[in-house]
Amino acid sequence: MPGDHEGVSRRTFLRIAATAGAAGAACSPPALPQKLIPFLVPPDEIIPGRPLFYRTVCRECPAGCGVTARTREGRAVKLEGNPEDPIGGGSLCARGQASIQALYAPDRLDGPRRRGADGKLAPIPWDDAEEALAAALTAAREKGPGRIRLLTRSEPGSAGAVQKALLRGLGGREGDRVVFEPFDAAPLRAAEKALFGVAQLPVHDLAQARTVVAFGADFLETWLSPVELTRQLSQGRGRVGAERTRLLWVGPRMSATGMSADRWIRVRAGGELPLALALLRWLVEPGHLPDLAPAVRPLSPRLAALDPTALVRRAGVRLEDVDALGRELVARRPSALLGPGVASQGPEATQLAAVLLLANVALGNVGRTVLHGLDPMEDPPSSFADVKALLDDCAAGKVDVLLVHHADPAGALPAALGAGGALAKVPLVVTFASLPDATGAQAHLHLPDHHTLEAFGEVSPRRGIVALGQPVMTPLADTRAAAQVLLELAGRLPQPATPLPGDLWEFFQARAEVFLKPVAAGATDVRPVLRTAQERGGAYYEAAPGPVALDASAAARFLAPPPEAPPPRTGELDLLFFPTTLRGDGQGPRPTWLDEVSDTVTTVSWTAWAELSTATAARLGVVAGDVLAVATRAGRAELPAYVYPGLRDDVIAVPLGGPEALALLPGDTDPASGALAFAGARATVAKAGRRIDLPVLEGSPYQEGRSIVKNVSAAAPAVKRPDLSARMYPEPPHPVHRWAMAIDLDKCTGCNACVVACYAENNVPVMGREAAVMGRQMGWIRIERYLGPERGKLRPDFLPMLCQHCTNAPCEPVCPVYATYHTPEGLNAQVYNRCVGTRYCSNNCPYKVRTFNWRDTKFVRPLDLQLNPDVTVRSKGVMEKCTFCVQRIRYAEGVAKDENRPVADGEVTPACAQTCPAKAIVFGDANDPASRVSRLAAGPRGFNALEEINTRPAITYLARVREEDP
Amino acid sequence: MSTTSTSAAFAQLQDAVAAVPRRLGRGYWVLVGLAASLLLWGAWCYSIIVRNGLGVTRLNRPVMWGNLITDFVFWVGIAHSGTLISAVLFLFRARFRTAVYRVAEMMTVFGVMTAGLFPVFHLGRPWFAYWLFPYPNQRHLWPNFRSPLAWDVFAVSTYFIVSTVFLFVGIGPDAAALRDVATGWRRRAYGLLSLGWHGTDAQWRHYTRAYLFFAAFATPLVVSVHSVVSWDFAVSLTPGWHSTLFPPYFVAGAILSGVAMVITILIPLRKVLRLTDIITPHHLDMLARLVLFVSLIVTYSYSVEIGLSLRSPPSDPERSTLLYRATGAYAPLFWLMVTCNCVGPMLLAVRKVRTSIPALLAICLAVNVGMWLERFNIVVTSLSHDRLPFSWRLYFPGWIEWGMTFGSFGWFFFWFLMSLKLLPVVSIAEMKEDLAHARHVGAGEAAHAG
Repeated sequence: MPGDHEGVSRRTFLRIAATAGAAGAACSPPALPQKLIPFLVPPDEIIPGRPLFYRTVCRECPAGCGVTARTREGRAVKLEGNPEDPIGGGSLCARGQASIQALYAPDRLDGPRRRGADGKLAPIPWDDAEEALAAALTAAREKGPGRIRLLTRSEPGSAGAVQKALLRGLGGREGDRVVFEPFDAAPLRAAEKALFGVAQLPVHDLAQARTVVAFGADFLETWLSPVELTRQLSQGRGRVGAERTRLLWVGPRMSATGMSADRWIRVRAGGELPLALALLRWLVEPGHLPDLAPAVRPLSPRLAALDPTALVRRAGVRLEDVDALGRELVARRPSALLGPGVASQGPEATQLAAVLLLANVALGNVGRTVLHGLDPMEDPPSSFADVKALLDDCAAGKVDVLLVHHADPAGALPAALGAGGALAKVPLVVTFASLPDATGAQAHLHLPDHHTLEAFGEVSPRRGIVALGQPVMTPLADTRAAAQVLLELAGRLPQPATPLPGDLWEFFQARAEVFLKPVAAGATDVRPVLRTAQERGGAYYEAAPGPVALDASAAARFLAPPPEAPPPRTGELDLLFFPTTLRGDGQGPRPTWLDEVSDTVTTVSWTAWAELSTATAARLGVVAGDVLAVATRAGRAELPAYVYPGLRDDVIAVPLGGPEALALLPGDTDPASGALAFAGARATVAKAGRRIDLPVLEGSPYQEGRSIVKNVSAAAPAVKRPDLSARMYPEPPHPVHRWAMAIDLDKCTGCNACVVACYAENNVPVMGREAAVMGRQMGWIRIERYLGPERGKLRPDFLPMLCQHCTNAPCEPVCPVYATYHTPEGLNAQVYNRCVGTRYCSNNCPYKVRTFNWRDTKFVRPLDLQLNPDVTVRSKGVMEKCTFCVQRIRYAEGVAKDENRPVADGEVTPACAQTCPAKAIVFGDANDPASRVSRLAAGPRGFNALEEINTRPAITYLARVREEDP
Repeated sequence: MSTTSTSAAFAQLQDAVAAVPRRLGRGYWVLVGLAASLLLWGAWCYSIIVRNGLGVTRLNRPVMWGNLITDFVFWVGIAHSGTLISAVLFLFRARFRTAVYRVAEMMTVFGVMTAGLFPVFHLGRPWFAYWLFPYPNQRHLWPNFRSPLAWDVFAVSTYFIVSTVFLFVGIGPDAAALRDVATGWRRRAYGLLSLGWHGTDAQWRHYTRAYLFFAAFATPLVVSVHSVVSWDFAVSLTPGWHSTLFPPYFVAGAILSGVAMVITILIPLRKVLRLTDIITPHHLDMLARLVLFVSLIVTYSYSVEIGLSLRSPPSDPERSTLLYRATGAYAPLFWLMVTCNCVGPMLLAVRKVRTSIPALLAICLAVNVGMWLERFNIVVTSLSHDRLPFSWRLYFPGWIEWGMTFGSFGWFFFWFLMSLKLLPVVSIAEMKEDLAHARHVGAGEAAHAG
């Protein structure tokens, strides 16, 4: 009998099994479920242990990337990009990856609440809440128009349509609904309106551009559509020679985008506009641009009247810089000039936007890299001036009911505006926020909305794209879709002015009839079309960009030289506010992953900071961690100093996304667009006399002459690699697969999306600020950002560092208990159960990619619902590290085995590679010479980290391409 | 005449040793209390680690080893002198060892007992420490014999067993001698320790053979134990650890710290226990010369390590780490270490310094501090300054680690002090032998003169 092993009879086996089972059950900790009850009627599609994917859309910023949500047993566990979505292209940024944390936030508002007379929030049934609100709305409507206001994020879809319909029904005026997007590129819209007649945002195609010049537009971080723009840029990267897309960064501070640039033109604060004018003047100068676009020819006399010397002096650059920039743009066409971004959005932001658009026109970029007619203009944000006007009305007592829909003015507006005080004057503030935020702290009625992953919805971020959101799981709490609440309110109002359906789904379907027309191909019943679209994540159809006609007379208005800035008073520095991906715009509480992960440029986490250049810090006697007292005319803030050589000496830089920046922001506007002027402030800086331990990830920011990150250039296109052919011991065999990875450092932008994705996929615990100070972050992948090859030399490099899965792994022989183990597929497995925690493996790991569980991590409900059931939650005292997402490898291998075929190339994608917006990470089987990873690794740019110690890593880095020889 | 005076001298010697427990008065109990409190404090600190995980220490990435491993290496080093003095010097027939070797051996046993705790203490999951031992288990796993930590298990446990056996073998005849004069529980205890010793010729013959055998067996251990401990570092890739110099360098360092510790303990001990006639300035002088000699080896090792690294280009991580020790954040510790381990012992070359007991004590105390710092320097600076500059980070021990470091001194001295109540601190049998030998030789010379 084949099953009869070693004389153990079936009866004996059962007896042992039963005893062991009983003993095991008796010894189980009480927290474990004692009974497992199978489904009597299993829900559709749910097979325990199998993931189920739903397509939806990310609402973290207006870009509207498509999302694939992986669910397990009825709960969302991981978000990934939707590969069918033309915007995200299958990737998500760090914020998108972290948005699932809001779903499982422990402090999520779990039901409607009303503030009582004692000022405390008390739970209230939905019916009562809606009834009370309906009564208040009715009463306010009686008082005349403008008493009911709505402050919302941009909602280019059903939610926005419902809002508008309800306000109309309440007799509201057009301006009663204010759309709040703090980082909206309002100056660009205004410039488009002035130059081309339509207040639209252009759409970019950087994949066509040969040179991209960003005038403070951090398009790899927050500007317009960062995931898409990153992907487009990376398409032109990863090659050597003239074909490679060049990126130039213009600004007083080298941002993360600037770190990816090939050249940094370090203009002084506010110098972007004079440089742009000087450039435009240079372009139209006779003989420079042979095929100058005819539309800009009429501007030549006005431009010629400008004094280039004065302009470059204002910009803080030399005439030769303009000359070089101009010549490059003439030679390398098409190009793309981008701007302004938040960091360069000053009081003349519209003029800067207009000049850059004119330069794009002059260079023939418009229609090639800068596309028009694709902005659906469905729900363009209101200007900062409108928001300010709303607050003024609130403060003046002109508003009775303020509905706040996913907007947090108190958390994202300059403190000088006194948003908090204004809100306090409103008798009834209603918030639909699902998390407690600064605005909600002042709201009287909390009507928490579903999380995006729990609700239907659609947004049109662009013509040709209607991204469809759909619930991927049952709502966790007693929440209701805000649009649904509004529809129910409409039903409760005494005389429904406009008939609205009582159900959001009906409303949505009625809209679907319209927005699905381009893809319905004349079908009478759109329901199957909608279903297909929902399965794909949206309705995608071809939308051709349209031409624009330049209004030359309007353009001429933007050619006046900018007013001379007053000379700084002694001790004053130009104050630069900049956005970062992780910190965002400051609305609402930040997901903890974004706090835990280190900023790309400074590697600071958990706190805001102030950057000073090396020389300025030395002049002020400041070292990193010294608390600085920064003061503007608007207010003051205390911030720890970070000394950053990528900053002009006359500038202090402060990140947005926190109360410190808001306290310092004067709240001026760009008069032409009404946008908030982030740039243009000045600050005095003094030491506050305290020091803090700054939570930075970096040890030394320099490579200390060790040439760790290799570079190549057109002249030296191949990395010199040591001869490692000598072998002392036989290498471990990898008979079937040898999993490997290639990371293209020419594409990597250090955006941290991979880091957050890894936290989400692998149940990596968040350790907090203290741990960050001590260097105890648990992330399995980190962005090693080197500022330069040796001390004092600024030439940034990114090196995403994760377990290298070495063939000769130094961690393996030193473990006394075989907890580190080399699998036949080449993975360095960490067997948590065997680990006793000697930590020798970490000491011997030259890459320092192993993390130790310093304590037990408690994932308190509902945080535990986000845990990936395929990945063990580690306990205190054991080492852990990157597994190359072994659970995904096993899953793909299992599927392939079921289908009786080998695993195909590209079938296994670790979380980091999956989300990489630049598509810089490629994973595959090194045993297959035809796999993408094998071919990339064999290329001339390939090198291994610390190759000389012969660990033979599975990760091949592809060297970044530089202009000069490495 | 000569026989009677010899037996009187024997009696005097035996009385002096037997009187040791009686001389331990109130001061002794204060010291025991102090040691016990330190020990309890260390135990409390450790219980915090067990309950909350190693996060309560200041360890971090990349410095995953800190005070606890420093303490381990330090105490293994302390444990070295005993075997060196009792076994190696025995084989070399160095006479001066007789008076001091028992104290050294006791130190060895308690030193290993202390050292052996730390590899367990520093584990993330100490309750699975037994997995490091080879035993048949349901996981069908041996320990990884390629790992230096597995070698450590064998090296340290072997050393502990051999040095304990060696100690008790040597105590046998002494315990018998004391048994015959003791009363009460001590008599029974000495009875056990004497292992049935009656002083017969056959016993003496077997005893001397066994002693020689153990001495020969223990001698290679002196070299091997600390060599194996050094491999914990030398076998790794870490710059500052990865060096073939480490085994001899560690052995020399261990002997330096061990002998210095012996002197540190002997000086107050002979005073308080009134053993000044038995442990004479001559013995201290000889030990001091040993300190000087080993210190020169250690100094040479330091210079070779740094000197050789200077041949590499400045970007070389080895060179960078070694220079970092002398110039970086830990430079004060490095220079204090050099002062204590190199400069201080050099002074012993001067006879006046060497024979001044306060000076000798001060220098040896400083060597103890210096040798602890040496291990801290090796363990911590190398880890904090690894190959990837991005992961550099400093480590400074927190109060938990200090609690355990000082607790280890409490543990060590608690056992040492308690054993003074029972174990003969000087080898009576060997001293008698020396005494008889000296008399005999002396009498012979007198006869010739006559």
